[in-house]
Amino acid sequence: MLRIRGLTVAYGAEPVLDGIDLDVQVGQFASLVGPSGSGKTSILRAVTGLLTPTHGEVDLGVHAADVGFLFQDDALLPWRTVRENVTLGLRIRGVAPEAAAATAQGWLVSLGLAGLEDRYPRQLSGGQRKRVAIAQVLALEPRLLLMDEPFASLDAIVRMRLTEELLTWVERKHLTVLLVTHDLEEAITLSDAVYVLSQGPRATIRAAHPVPIPRPRHVLASRADQAFAPLLQRLWKDLE
Amino acid sequence: MTARPGTRRTAAFLLLAAAWETAARAGWIDPFYAPAPSRVASVLVSLFVQGDIWRHLEATLVSAFAGLLAGVALGMLLGFAAALLPGVAELLEPVMILLNAIPRVILAPLFVIWLGIGLASKIALALILVAVLIFFAVYSGIKEVDRRLVERVRTLGGGRRALIQEVYLPSIAAWVLGNLKIAVGFAFTGAVVGEFVASTRGLGYLLQFAQSTYNAALTLALIVLIMACALVLFALAERLERRLLRWRYV
Repeated sequence: MLRIRGLTVAYGAEPVLDGIDLDVQVGQFASLVGPSGSGKTSILRAVTGLLTPTHGEVDLGVHAADVGFLFQDDALLPWRTVRENVTLGLRIRGVAPEAAAATAQGWLVSLGLAGLEDRYPRQLSGGQRKRVAIAQVLALEPRLLLMDEPFASLDAIVRMRLTEELLTWVERKHLTVLLVTHDLEEAITLSDAVYVLSQGPRATIRAAHPVPIPRPRHVLASRADQAFAPLLQRLWKDLE
Repeated sequence: MTARPGTRRTAAFLLLAAAWETAARAGWIDPFYAPAPSRVASVLVSLFVQGDIWRHLEATLVSAFAGLLAGVALGMLLGFAAALLPGVAELLEPVMILLNAIPRVILAPLFVIWLGIGLASKIALALILVAVLIFFAVYSGIKEVDRRLVERVRTLGGGRRALIQEVYLPSIAAWVLGNLKIAVGFAFTGAVVGEFVASTRGLGYLLQFAQSTYNAALTLALIVLIMACALVLFALAERLERRLLRWRYV
């Protein structure tokens, strides 16, 4: 589905990313791990078109409207209520207000936000804001989901819970996902394949590992799987 | 238990007035320069009893409001234009920076020469005071709009129209309304100073008259009246801001 070929990104003279090749198959959950500053985020920004690469090609494999992007920070519109934030993408696409509100309500209930519809973002906790951001993206029913350390700012308990919920959604909807993270355990728990990015500048894909843990998965059970620890050690070695 | 700040402030004000009153009655201060608060109050009351004050109040408030509305409109228009069109920015920025650096009330005599001693010159002064303030609020506001919100709307499929509607307009509304209280004060200043320079009506005119006749009681009464007007306008501006920017105060 997603095909990245020879992606090179340079902000100054020296490229941050140098010739990245990466494939994500339909229905596959791929993770991209790497040290901070290696240009992980730049890859996602190039994929979404927020950044124009110096060289290389990105083929989404789907229409741009079928791509959902979950950011690291939960930049919700502060002047819009929870409901209005969730319907934002639908409204932009010209969905009728009643239909958009109905769709949004379904997602708000699914994500445990029922009763908070008329709140403003500053009245929510960090975890709730993240749920609104997830609902905002999932309400558009994307086929390809790109995530940039979506849970980095959350505390451990909320993070665990949201990861579990996300896992359920991804498996139920057979979403194709590319996740960028520096959390190796998270990458293994969630993915079918883990790509390791080398230390930048001139970062390249250093290794790609399949994750042989059966689906459906659960966060804790996956960590107890016999394949988990050896793979974690391999990833650590790759990053050294 | 501590009293509310409002109560404490009122108590402090009353204490000061009482001390002043006592000092005036005891003859410690010259009533020619500093008439007792009771004397100022009675002048104030007589202004309203005679009824002449109303047409002066009307003139000042009309100038201030007209200048405020026109100034906000012009400031927003120019701020928008400068933020979106680099050519306009190059032309406007130096002028606005200059106008922002100087005390803009020095333009009052010029407006009298150009527009006469009627309301127009007062409106123009209030307008220029407000417009420069709003220009910078909108201009720098658009330039410093939250990039994350822009990117979020874009990745959700939003184009120029969605960006303006969902991000730029609400951001600008927030900056303009955030400056509204200051703008109201500026508009009032423009109107009163304009009248002070040359006019036949208004609180500024009365103030000028009181000064020229060395009438300290009338001067003080007018100062109190102008302060009261400003406080009422501030409160109104604050209520408007809180209503329209509800998301910021919930």
